Amino acid sequence: MADASIEFKGSSFTLSVLHLNTSILADVRADLAKKIAQAPDFFYLVPVVVSIEKLDCAIDYQAIKTLIEEFKFTFVGFTGSVAKEQRQLIRELGFSFVNTAKVNTSAKAVITKESIAEKTTAIATKPESDLYTDKVHRGQIRSGQQIYAKGQNLVIIGSVSAGAEVIADGNIHVYGSLRGRAIAGAKGHHKAQIYCQNLEAELVSINGNYWLSESMEQHWGSPAFIQLTDSELTSSKLI
Amino acid sequence: MARIIVVTSGKGGVGKTTSSAAIGLGLALKGHKVVLIDFDIGLRNLDLIMGCERRVVYDFVNVINGEATLNQALIKDKRVSSLSILPASQTRDKDALNKENVGKVLEELGETYDYIICDSPAGIEAGAMMALYYADEAIVTTNPEVSSVRDSDRILGMLASRSRRAELGLEPIKEHLLLTRYSPKRVEEGEMLSVEDVEDILSIPLLGVIPESQAVLKASNAGEPVILDTESDAGKAYQDVIDRLLGETVEFRFLVAEKKGIFSRMFGG
Repeated sequence: MADASIEFKGSSFTLSVLHLNTSILADVRADLAKKIAQAPDFFYLVPVVVSIEKLDCAIDYQAIKTLIEEFKFTFVGFTGSVAKEQRQLIRELGFSFVNTAKVNTSAKAVITKESIAEKTTAIATKPESDLYTDKVHRGQIRSGQQIYAKGQNLVIIGSVSAGAEVIADGNIHVYGSLRGRAIAGAKGHHKAQIYCQNLEAELVSINGNYWLSESMEQHWGSPAFIQLTDSELTSSKLI
Repeated sequence: MARIIVVTSGKGGVGKTTSSAAIGLGLALKGHKVVLIDFDIGLRNLDLIMGCERRVVYDFVNVINGEATLNQALIKDKRVSSLSILPASQTRDKDALNKENVGKVLEELGETYDYIICDSPAGIEAGAMMALYYADEAIVTTNPEVSSVRDSDRILGMLASRSRRAELGLEPIKEHLLLTRYSPKRVEEGEMLSVEDVEDILSIPLLGVIPESQAVLKASNAGEPVILDTESDAGKAYQDVIDRLLGETVEFRFLVAEKKGIFSRMFGG
């Protein structure tokens, strides 16, 4: 019960971080003064963390603190992704060093970028649809139903009713009538194609290029396949 | 084991209740024990079509809530003793039913009856879902026009995904197509979808084609299911439906417009 009067809990707050681009304090003072003049009340007693990440020469930590407090900020501490020794030095000098998640974030950002790059190359190196496996659905896709073959071709053994939607990252084959919507190459695959035994679709789309029924007149009601030729949809007789 | 048959459609006004009444009475006339359940809570109609509206004391919701026993709520048909009707409540809404209690009522009815015919409300909301949930078979009532066909298609999707059989991975619900208000003359004139068109879109087995007939409205208003009107085309067509439901192969009638002879043309017959 000894510590019932107090309780320590971690919380997250939004703190302003002042990034210093130079260690010439005269310049910093001049720019700070200009900034604060624009909205003096806004900065009054605002807690501030100073990032020293961009400073590479010797730093006068005490001078920076004094300067900050001169402008009526509440000085919290220093931050930035700096060497372990420098962090230790700051602590030894009696200032707090605020660790940010920034080190991790930037690392994560790099990873994300890499994985995106990886994915992009994966898509780029997968131009032939035969690299996709097939998702096979037996039976009719009824009005209101939706089926998505993620990263696959979609094979429907049956008809696709009006008001139904079939989507695939690869090709779409309908062994029956296509009366609903068919969206092939949904994640960007310009070589995707749509095949059906009877073209009466509400909409067909390949890699974001779409046709409504009125554009399908040429092969309406007959077996057809649709592909993308120079960013234009074209339909051809299937048999 | 009772056969639980839902009469459904998605769209309203296509003839679900008329068909439920005709099929229920038709099966009972063949000597089967049949119970007709009105699932259209709040819009009670089946009792009117069956001509027993003045005999409703307790209803389906009373039974669900344990306020009445099944025997108190069931109305015995005056024409055929093996037929009973479980009327809907007119004062409540569709939320009055829940899966668990409906299941219990159906189970109890199954001990006595051979056929449980569930007359579904229109729509695809809770009420319609409740009516089809426990079904073994479905009679999808459709008019030969595009909106009705599309709604039937939607309901067929629901039958295949939202029913108890679908949820438990059992054998799927047996689907039957019942085309009502069919007018061969208008099909020939290109104003109406043909049987072939509808079969092609829905691709389920055809159970019957009921021709558009004056007899249906007359029968509804009189509270005498049209199947009793053995002279009418619609009555005969429903009779064929019963035979097919019982496993017989019956040829489809009333699919071609009658060729009027010179005399009937002259005298407007």
